[in-house]
Amino acid sequence: MATKYILAGTQQHRIWKYATWGLFIVVVMLVAFAYVDTGTIDIGDNSYNLSMIRIAKAVSFGVAILGLQCVVGFTGQVALGQSFFVGTGAYITAWLVADHQWPYLLTLVVVVPACFLIGMLLGLPALRIKGLYLALVTLGMAAVFPSIVKLDAISDQTGGSGGKSTAESKLVSPEWATSIFDGIAGVLQAVPLVGQYFGDGDLSEREADRMWKFVLFIIVAAICFWIVNNLVKSRPGRAMRAIRDNETGAAVSGVDLAMTKTLAFGVASALGGVAGTIYVMEVGIASPDDFTQLLAINLIVGLVVGGVGTLSGAVVGGLVVVLIPDWAASTESVAGVPERWLQGPTGSFLLGVMLIFLTFVMPGGIVAGFRKLRARYVQVVPRPPDGSVPAAFAAATAGPATDGEAMLSNESDDELVHTGSDSGSNDE
Amino acid sequence: MDLFIQRVFDGLANGSAYALIAVALVLIFKATTLINFAQGEMAMLGAFVALQLWYWGVPVWIAVILAMLFSAVLAAGIERTLIRPFDPKDHLPLVIITLGLFLAINAFAGIVWRFDPRQFPEMFPGGNALDIGSRGLSWFAVFTIILTVGVILLLQLLLNKTKIGLAFRAVSSNLESSELVGIKVGSTLQFGWALAAAVGTLGACVYVANPLLSLEPSVMLRVLIFAASAAALGGLDSIWGALVGGLAIGFVQSLLVQYIDFIPSEMSLAAAVVVLLIVLLFKPAGLFGTASVERV
Amino acid sequence: MSEPTLNEPMLNVTNLTAGYGPVSVLRGIDFYVNKGEVVVILGANGAGKTTTLRALSGMIDTGGSVTFEGEELVGQAPPNIVRKGIAHIPQGRGTFPELSVHDNLEVGAYTRKDNEVDADIEKWYEVYPVLKNRRNQLAGSLSGGEQQMLAVARALMGRPRLLLLDEPSLGLAPFLVQDLFERFGRLNTEDGTTLLVVEQNAQLALGIAHRGYVLEAGQIAIKGTADELMHDDAIRRAYLGV
Repeated sequence: MATKYILAGTQQHRIWKYATWGLFIVVVMLVAFAYVDTGTIDIGDNSYNLSMIRIAKAVSFGVAILGLQCVVGFTGQVALGQSFFVGTGAYITAWLVADHQWPYLLTLVVVVPACFLIGMLLGLPALRIKGLYLALVTLGMAAVFPSIVKLDAISDQTGGSGGKSTAESKLVSPEWATSIFDGIAGVLQAVPLVGQYFGDGDLSEREADRMWKFVLFIIVAAICFWIVNNLVKSRPGRAMRAIRDNETGAAVSGVDLAMTKTLAFGVASALGGVAGTIYVMEVGIASPDDFTQLLAINLIVGLVVGGVGTLSGAVVGGLVVVLIPDWAASTESVAGVPERWLQGPTGSFLLGVMLIFLTFVMPGGIVAGFRKLRARYVQVVPRPPDGSVPAAFAAATAGPATDGEAMLSNESDDELVHTGSDSGSNDE
Repeated sequence: MDLFIQRVFDGLANGSAYALIAVALVLIFKATTLINFAQGEMAMLGAFVALQLWYWGVPVWIAVILAMLFSAVLAAGIERTLIRPFDPKDHLPLVIITLGLFLAINAFAGIVWRFDPRQFPEMFPGGNALDIGSRGLSWFAVFTIILTVGVILLLQLLLNKTKIGLAFRAVSSNLESSELVGIKVGSTLQFGWALAAAVGTLGACVYVANPLLSLEPSVMLRVLIFAASAAALGGLDSIWGALVGGLAIGFVQSLLVQYIDFIPSEMSLAAAVVVLLIVLLFKPAGLFGTASVERV
Repeated sequence: MSEPTLNEPMLNVTNLTAGYGPVSVLRGIDFYVNKGEVVVILGANGAGKTTTLRALSGMIDTGGSVTFEGEELVGQAPPNIVRKGIAHIPQGRGTFPELSVHDNLEVGAYTRKDNEVDADIEKWYEVYPVLKNRRNQLAGSLSGGEQQMLAVARALMGRPRLLLLDEPSLGLAPFLVQDLFERFGRLNTEDGTTLLVVEQNAQLALGIAHRGYVLEAGQIAIKGTADELMHDDAIRRAYLGV
């Protein structure tokens, strides 16, 4: 297939940009409707339980990884302790819901500012502690979180080592939403051939509630992505990237290092908190051992596997971190693999191996790999500031694009936000 | 008072294990200014290998030594294939590689040996060396401390009196000049990784040989944090510092936590992280480290 | 290709190119150093002098050909090049700051397998008594002049046949520089060590050199005997400041 060229800033470009995300959301919703009703899918001898809990967890971790993008990806601070803030958010939500009967979503009003402030405070040492030392301290913080919530002094609020359950307050789908869901499900079921995958008849009450929660998660997550997308392109966002690319250079160009870094930490932690809220909304309990340094490392896996410094990387990362262990756990027999290997923490093993493997072959993560692939078919040509049509574009669209292709493939590499150039913010 | 003395020794015994892991961290840090986040997991894997050999009938000490050799070879392989291809000055990919190793090794041990705690064979005679009133000073504590100090002395001899030790110190000090005097930097760093893994494995064995503890895949998660604090306290590039730091952390853990009521026992980990934080904030060179360690 | 003859230069550089990533610094230079010679490479900042030496030692990606006593060096790793008998004192001396003076000397003899290392160390202690006094002190605590002495002694501990010197005068007090160059001169005349010196201080360097090259923007601009260069008007204006 010949490569298609699109000029940056044109209508076509905008459609192209939003189409990718739009398509993604449609797929997610389709999967959701399929998931909510269908119990399992059998592949070979293995049956995969498609519970929506996994997808909701993926949304939660996606938001947490989005936070890591801010502090690690865009600001270049090697902070590994995101699980600390996911845990904090989860516990605040659980406490407010269980003990004070707050509605789940309202707890965000407390979670976001609280995590933002805690994140800024804990980010203060990062002004002095850098690089590997910061990685060490933040990993330590992540390790400490479970023992903090297990403290006797606050066990009334945190539920001690048993965790804080919110099972008594259920999130119920309002009637108008239920009827919409039923309508959509009905339409999908009517589609020939694939309709069977969407179950039959109306959604049960439980399914409707799940769907409602899921829609809420998607909306919350979408808002988070929208905010970060704008942040990255704003003045503080440019300051963050300047710090990542050259800290001294940024400082002498007038970037307020202290301010920008603490802001990045604050935003990252607030997003971690939101992720925790989503987590508790779905799981119904905040328990200390869900927020250990293993979660912290898993989130880093998501960050790297998805793609450091890209927003879509956070989505991919969240899915990978949740689904791979889940699929691995559901896989009970694979020809040629001893059963013992499939029963243990195979998923974690795969994640670790994947992390190492990708660092070698695809340092930009899955998103970069996808973009490279996409660039073979569609390329966005940046437009010079004066608004003229670049010669390369004209040449590429006019004739056989042998020379132009070579030139343009260099441009497309800029799409990795790594370069920090303006064409890098193609990520919305 | 009796309890106090017993506690001191128990703390020092734990601290010895922290010190050995800390020494492993320091060895790699000295050579490459990299913190190997997988050090604890590599040590845990080594301890499992020792246990497995013991299950197969190998006497415990030979099993431990074989496990140390195994770890050394494994670490040399890891250095060659996973670490050396990367630019040593660019830390992020290296941190990511060590985190990947952390996950993979931890899960690997879980797959092979499962998560049930297993009793590690006694490495030292049981019983008490000294009975003080109703309390006793266990042989375990005494021997662990002696062993640790002995190993670190040996390590110092190796680094200060042998040619490979000289090369290792030269590489730690100035990479470029090392190449210019004909030192093969790659294999020297490989030697450092192997040495670190062997010492770390010994540390893990000593730690789980404690009659009160057992071996399971996540046993080193906490120990790594204690060891990292110990290494930072001692100054990340000082081997003696790691010993002092390890003993100090073990000592604080057992005493402070026991005698001060408002610090519950789970908080010993938090205490270690706070120590780490304070050291890095206010005295990044630690107690015995060279100040130039604060390169970023 | 001519057969190697007795007149073949010790070091023969043809069409040497080198750079850092996409930036090319040396754009194909040719020069040679005969056994027993002192050759100096002059040039302004950024002309590529240091890069030339780094390329010879194999520390950066290099193209072209470098033969040392008939053996090709391009593509070899630095430790292998050192083992062939080339020592390189980099800019900023390249001592090991966290090692003691004594260890620095010992590490200089890293590639040697004979048993005269201790005797050689004693010899250098006689040449530079100040090093003997500070033998257990960390090299990082020495003054600039002492470090330069240590760097020279350390490089020669490997008993090289060719010594590459990168701006040895940099950062030293003038009287130390004078002394140092006299030492280099004697190294050549008395011990027969071949020297390739990169210097900005042209007057001093030409004082001990047999021949010289002037490097400009990665290419050899002028070459000649030390005498000719000393009296070349362009050089006098550009580098000798007269």
